[in-house]
Amino acid sequence: MTAPIAETTGTAKSISIRNFNKYYGGFHALKDLSIEVKAGEFLVLLGPSGCGKSTALRMIAGLESISSGALLIGDRDVTEVLPKYRDIAMVFQSYALYPHKTVAENIGFPLKVAKTPAAEMEAAVRAAADQVELGEHLDRFPGQLSGGQRQRVALARAIIRRPSVFLMDEPLSNLDAKLRGNMRAELKHMQGELGITTIYVTHDQIEAMTLAHRVAIMKDGVLQQLGTPKEVYSDPANLFVAGFMGSPPMNFVTGALANEVFTSGSIQFPLLSTPNTASATLGFRPEDCQITAPGTGFLDADVFTVEMTGDQVLVTLRMDGTPLVVKMPKEFEIEAGAKAGITLDPKHLYVFDTDTGARVRRG
Amino acid sequence: MTPKRSIFEAPRIGQMSMATKIVLYSLLLIWSAFVLFPIYWLIITSFKDAADVNQGPFFIPFVDYQPTLHAWKELFVNDYEDTLRAYFNSIVISLSATALSVLIGSMAAYALSRVSYAPNLITILYFIALLALTVLAVTIYQVDWRLASAVAIAMFFFLARAVGNLYQFQLHNGDILFWIISQRILAPIVVVVPIYIMFQSVGLLDTHIAIIITYAVVNMPIVVWLMYDFFNSIPRDLEESAQLDGATMIGTFREIVLPLSRTGLAATTLLVMILSWNEYLLALFLSTSKAQTMPILVAAMNAGERGILWWTMSVAIIVMIIPVVVLAIFLQKYISKGLLVGAVKG
Amino acid sequence: MNEWLDRHMGRLFLAPAVTLILIFSIFPLVASLIMAFTRIRFSAGGFKTRFVGWRNFDKQFFGSEQFHLLGTFTHISILGWVVGLSATAALLWWMWRYIRGPFWWFGFLGRLITLGMALALVWMFAATLLSGNQFGTVGTTLFYVVVGCALQFLIGTALAYACSQSIRGKTAFRVIFFVPMMITPIGIGYIFRMMADTTKGPFANVWQWVGLKDFAWATDPWAARIFITIAESWQWIPFVFIMMLAAFENVSRDLIEAAELDGASPWQRFAEITWPSVMPIAATVMLIRAIEAFKIVDLPNIMTSGGPGIATESVSLQAYYAWRSLDLGSASAIAYILLFITVVICVSFFNLVVLARVRKQQ
Repeated sequence: MTAPIAETTGTAKSISIRNFNKYYGGFHALKDLSIEVKAGEFLVLLGPSGCGKSTALRMIAGLESISSGALLIGDRDVTEVLPKYRDIAMVFQSYALYPHKTVAENIGFPLKVAKTPAAEMEAAVRAAADQVELGEHLDRFPGQLSGGQRQRVALARAIIRRPSVFLMDEPLSNLDAKLRGNMRAELKHMQGELGITTIYVTHDQIEAMTLAHRVAIMKDGVLQQLGTPKEVYSDPANLFVAGFMGSPPMNFVTGALANEVFTSGSIQFPLLSTPNTASATLGFRPEDCQITAPGTGFLDADVFTVEMTGDQVLVTLRMDGTPLVVKMPKEFEIEAGAKAGITLDPKHLYVFDTDTGARVRRG
Repeated sequence: MTPKRSIFEAPRIGQMSMATKIVLYSLLLIWSAFVLFPIYWLIITSFKDAADVNQGPFFIPFVDYQPTLHAWKELFVNDYEDTLRAYFNSIVISLSATALSVLIGSMAAYALSRVSYAPNLITILYFIALLALTVLAVTIYQVDWRLASAVAIAMFFFLARAVGNLYQFQLHNGDILFWIISQRILAPIVVVVPIYIMFQSVGLLDTHIAIIITYAVVNMPIVVWLMYDFFNSIPRDLEESAQLDGATMIGTFREIVLPLSRTGLAATTLLVMILSWNEYLLALFLSTSKAQTMPILVAAMNAGERGILWWTMSVAIIVMIIPVVVLAIFLQKYISKGLLVGAVKG
Repeated sequence: MNEWLDRHMGRLFLAPAVTLILIFSIFPLVASLIMAFTRIRFSAGGFKTRFVGWRNFDKQFFGSEQFHLLGTFTHISILGWVVGLSATAALLWWMWRYIRGPFWWFGFLGRLITLGMALALVWMFAATLLSGNQFGTVGTTLFYVVVGCALQFLIGTALAYACSQSIRGKTAFRVIFFVPMMITPIGIGYIFRMMADTTKGPFANVWQWVGLKDFAWATDPWAARIFITIAESWQWIPFVFIMMLAAFENVSRDLIEAAELDGASPWQRFAEITWPSVMPIAATVMLIRAIEAFKIVDLPNIMTSGGPGIATESVSLQAYYAWRSLDLGSASAIAYILLFITVVICVSFFNLVVLARVRKQQ
């Protein structure tokens, strides 16, 4: 599902983020973040708002100072280097297009400040504009463009300089759903083609899954897990990652684990080779389980709602107030209010320590 | 690798270079001195007497000269009647004019931001033509003004619709707004003579009411302009939901819009208050003695035979500044926010 | 009753404002226009008016008051000819360029009026200021407007830009810079008279040191004009300052940061990003200031009473003096001349500078 990291074109550089810390007064916004990004890699920083992912990106850009830690781009230490000497390009959430400049002037701005000769600049602008299919709109102003076109201008402005690093701060979040899908595909294609190391910040796990070579999931300024999309999805390191990835999210049942038996309210069932845990959370993904007749599965619940989404049926059940979602094929039929059992292959069961969030049994 | 750096370039992320800092702070400090020194001089002069002023510049009280309350006494003990009357006049006039102006102006601004109007240009031109004819008849041909205006009003009401139907040239809210705001371009000198004659003929010259109304009208364009932008920045959904809940337009205005526009109202009020409090030319025309305001009183101090009495003058100016400063301190958090909503958006 | 009120609320809300403006603005405007064509004589129990046609205007433009309004015309110096002719050529070229573009009769007419006004003012200055002659109240008013506004704009903008950076004591500076706006113009007039006093003022020693002890600035035309301009600027820089400060703080941080990443130097960031972003607001602020500056009357009246001679007299002040000598016809005519000049200049500025920009980007 994930394309391999493209052959590097020579300009692409690795980035090493070493023990990043950020303090705002007494507030510790980013705690000891360390990531090694390979040359040409597409890395996504994923997390809910306020998790420190944008702060980390702005520190890489040089827009925020690094309270402690070090940043290397290629072999060069750029921790104290001003943003403009870092050889990076950034796409902002708001696109940051200069409203008083035409599309061509916007795209050409990085070259203009570098005092590139006019003819060379014009050629580069045209090439960049053609690459994002904006060739016909060069004389327009940003105010006259649609959301998708503005996004392309911002991209063109980023690629024109052939920087060694791309930084993107939620670049797709201002687009409508359909356009977002298209742009996602284009972005991925373009990054693969240019092979420029990219760090991309988002709160949307679908974007993260589809775009990234590797995903770094963050919460409260702390890195939770770093891995390929497949790894973070099927092998989550903790309760937070498990709950954050996937839509609809993983089902959780809280209870206790003693002597290889999980107990939650009235239900009890054996879980082999798991350590005793005073308060445990059982997790399983909606697509890994099926609905069966009551009494035949590993637990029973009441059907609460049935949602037909077209390609599948989402059945929400309730067990002692805990909602559980099961994805069933589109032919499946059941009445709300009925009793049903849930069954699954035990290898798809995840067990977490409720108090620490840590994973206690691998799937 | 490291290119040549200018001295204004930041040495570190999030820091300013020494050169930038020096330029910035010296600019700011020099200007602060330029602003504050005249005010300092004003204050120390108010505690001087004739000798202290005439014997050359003295800068520091208690060191260079002995401060006295001489000037303050002169203004508030000897001439207290004049001073207090002018002060009282100024307070009554600027408060009432501001209240009137803000009330009427923000009502108009609200209506313009929420209701669609479509007046007919031809009807308006017809109205202005009638007005001109009436004035012409009264001033040049000595027709009695009551008769002339009665005829004009009758003609307007009987023929307005017929004339308006000749050509349909509809104006819109924007045109009305522009018309009201453009009144500000009128120098007071253009309109003050007829206003003077108008008040004279109804016997209202040198009264509070005449100055209040005039100030209110002169400042109304500012109120409409600022408040229009402010009202436009309030989402309409709130009012629409209030209307669905059964509130009347005036109820919506009072319950929803006014509380939400406190910032804008405060800033507008402050601005209009300052303008009315300091206004000079119109007061010069419209007041002779009874309704004299502070600016007129202060300006008249020049006329004394002993030359300007800088010390009493300073006291008078200081007491004129104090209420504005107090008001500004109260409303200061609103000033930058409220005043600029419209202006900044253009 | 309530329902009726609600249905007509739209009109009722607007009516008081419109009525007041009609009575106290439009009616006087019309009356003033008519008065400008009459001669008014006060007599026992009222006044008599007589229609005199263009005579009031004639007197101002070509008659006994020409020196007062426009200045003294005797000859035009070589410098006057050079500047006048080159400005004329530039203006005609500007017009020619417009005519060759898409034609729109309304725009053409507007530009024609602008052109006429610009030519008249250029030649007025060529024949007075540049030819060593005294100029009149129109010239003085334009001096206050152009020099005053430019000064206020430069200093106000510089201060606002300095204050929009991350500096210590921002609030304190803001409060201090706002102070002059709260002082009555009359007070400012007197304060600056004190400041400028060469024997008893605070700078007496400085004046003495540079050898200007016996210099009375109020008796020198240019010194007097400049002092009035400084006092006016002191009063109005705060206005430019707060407006421009808000404008600078409103420029999106993203834009600045994007430019920073794109490698722009501090100066390039200001020139390429910040300044163009605040330009529309700057133009509006200038327009507001210019409109108010055309009305200038209190400072010259207080500081110099228009003297020496007529050197610091503004058009408004001239009209006021005419009214004081009970020449209401002339007062109205002068006021109308001021109104005409103000409207033409401000509308031209608005159309050619403010709107041109807005139109282009939308």
